[in-house]
Amino acid sequence: MKFIDRSTDPWLLLPDSEIAGPAPHRLLPLAQWEAVREHWPADVPVGVLLPNTADVETLAADLPRIALVALEFPKWVDGRAYSQAHVLRARLRYAGEVRATGDVVVDMMPLLQRCGVDAVVLREGQRQSSAERALGFFPMGHYQGDVLQPQPKFAREAA
Amino acid sequence: MYQYTDFDRQFVRARAAQFRDQLERNLAGELSDDDFRPLRLQNGWYIQRHAPMTRIAIPYGELSSRQLRQLARVATEFDKGFLHFTTRTNAQFNWIPLPRAADAMDMLADADMHGIQTSGNCIRNITTDVFAGIAPDEVVDPRPYCEVIRQWSTLQPEFAFLPRKFKIAVSGAAEDRAAIAWHDIGLQLVKNDLGEVGFKVLVGGGMGRTPVIGSVATEYLPWNQILVYIEAIVRVYNRFGRRDNAFKARIKILVKAEGQKFFDEVEEEFRKILADDAGGHAHIIPQAEFDRVAAFFTRPAKVHPAIGGFDPHRTGAAPVPFLRWLDRNVHAHQVDGYRAVTLSLKRPGLPPGDVTSEQMKAAATMADRYSLGELRVSHDQNLVLPWVREADLRAVWHAAKDAGFATPNIGLLTDMISCPGGDLCALANARSIPIAAAITEQFDDLDALLDLGDIDLHMSGCMNSCGHHHTGHIGILGIDKDGAEWYQVSVGGSDGSTISGTSAPGKVIGPSFAAEEVPGVVQALIDTYREHRAANERFVDTARRIGVGPFRTAADLVRRETAVAA
Repeated sequence: MKFIDRSTDPWLLLPDSEIAGPAPHRLLPLAQWEAVREHWPADVPVGVLLPNTADVETLAADLPRIALVALEFPKWVDGRAYSQAHVLRARLRYAGEVRATGDVVVDMMPLLQRCGVDAVVLREGQRQSSAERALGFFPMGHYQGDVLQPQPKFAREAA
Repeated sequence: MYQYTDFDRQFVRARAAQFRDQLERNLAGELSDDDFRPLRLQNGWYIQRHAPMTRIAIPYGELSSRQLRQLARVATEFDKGFLHFTTRTNAQFNWIPLPRAADAMDMLADADMHGIQTSGNCIRNITTDVFAGIAPDEVVDPRPYCEVIRQWSTLQPEFAFLPRKFKIAVSGAAEDRAAIAWHDIGLQLVKNDLGEVGFKVLVGGGMGRTPVIGSVATEYLPWNQILVYIEAIVRVYNRFGRRDNAFKARIKILVKAEGQKFFDEVEEEFRKILADDAGGHAHIIPQAEFDRVAAFFTRPAKVHPAIGGFDPHRTGAAPVPFLRWLDRNVHAHQVDGYRAVTLSLKRPGLPPGDVTSEQMKAAATMADRYSLGELRVSHDQNLVLPWVREADLRAVWHAAKDAGFATPNIGLLTDMISCPGGDLCALANARSIPIAAAITEQFDDLDALLDLGDIDLHMSGCMNSCGHHHTGHIGILGIDKDGAEWYQVSVGGSDGSTISGTSAPGKVIGPSFAAEEVPGVVQALIDTYREHRAANERFVDTARRIGVGPFRTAADLVRRETAVAA
């Protein structure tokens, strides 16, 4: 899991109102991306910020051009973005960065990681050391498959 | 019954260590109470009126004598010596201080128990038929499927923060003893024309403010695809279920709102998981895995069918109390020479579903002596001994009497379902324990109770419906009006059992009643039934036949405090 330091993070989120010109490390809200996707140069990596209500499968054709998908947790107990992350990775085989943003807290770490999120911007005041510790409680693995380990325990043991 | 593997044991230990870390961060001030709340809930810890309440999972209601003894130990060392069994066949402590929570969880883990997903907006403990594996009308033993689903749903990472709680029940018998139509997902095991096992899948049942019966998603799904199908249902729910209003967040509301579109979305999602998803196909259950799990649920080697039948008068005329107990608390069995015995937890002096530490120890001893060390927790909040030899019934009756479990009232009015209510639960609008006590006291004449026959009385202290008031032949719901306790009364509800008829919520008989009026109202309902019943007609059938009117009229005569409102 990559812990994003806001002060050194190169990705720049543009407000909805601003029309984005092609430049590296632009993070565009989904609506903006839809407005500029036709003209966006293929060689300029772009990031897209998805509301947790978006159907990620509509993004399938664009994914090869997208370097970063940022998912939103408006409240940390709103679990919709876990399903977005899962579908991005397991179904659409997205290989770029999947970042959790918004109200992201320590105890979400194992869930995020297992759904395929590989970078997080922690909510202000959350301790990175606690978040790192939260990732280590289940070294024996889990029953069901997930993005990191698609085989459930019964399939792993049968292999 | 299922035996923990090393993996299961390590897993529960790991969960206990994770919870300890969260608790310590909370007590140290690093983790706020607000952020800790959903975490402790998913480990079964509520903050209640007097102390935290903790809910311990009893997967599909199966409990060993060793586990029951450990619950007794936790009750003695951490609680005030009581345990409460719930309609979802879990166990609750009410008096363990939060700072000792992690120690209590460790002690439970010693006996392969935990509170994982017993609360919170996640997939909860799976429930099933209390007579699974022993019922004469069983088509398929549901327990191996329950265990596979339990494992799959345990710490499933994508579905830990759903819009609302999510409950699954499985039945494998002709008679539905698990109220599956009232669950978010209800699974009925069936066999097709070729004798192959599959599931009829119901989705979108639920109680609460808007009682809804589940709709059929598919009439037949091959058994080995069930995890994938559940994943499809829950993903559609996670994406589209409402989160703006907790009262409209259950999947039943989504199913009602979208209708056929919901089922189309589930089918499409199911197709995509199998066609496209990494790991999708891997969740089709291999026969070998099913066989591995099913091996835990084969008939115990010590069970030896006996022929010759059972004659309670074999050694002379049996006492009438024993015969009554046989009639009400002893149930038919798959195996000749065996019976299932209900230990009634409905008796004067203790709230419905409660046991003391001493009683837990006594029940554990009875299980060891007469039931191969195995017990069940019933949906009706009683304990069941599943493997009792007919030859031991007389001895079991004596032991049950000694421990206070022999009230011969199973299925009768006083075998009521009740949540702990406002005495203990912070969510409740009204108390249920004093109402239950008053009704128990009022109907203490066994002959009269037997004459009334089968009646389901269900009571909830609030709309969360833990006491399943909607499905009671008589339902009592605590409501809050201007800070005072009131009770809404309904008649004619059904949990879907044969006796009760097609699943249906009861009909409210009018404005709510004051607490003092409730026992009188129940009496009035009973008197109305007596007056109108045809020969051999059960309360619920009379209620359906004559409708709410006569009950309402009789109940209104009881009103004192609420006379003006009426």
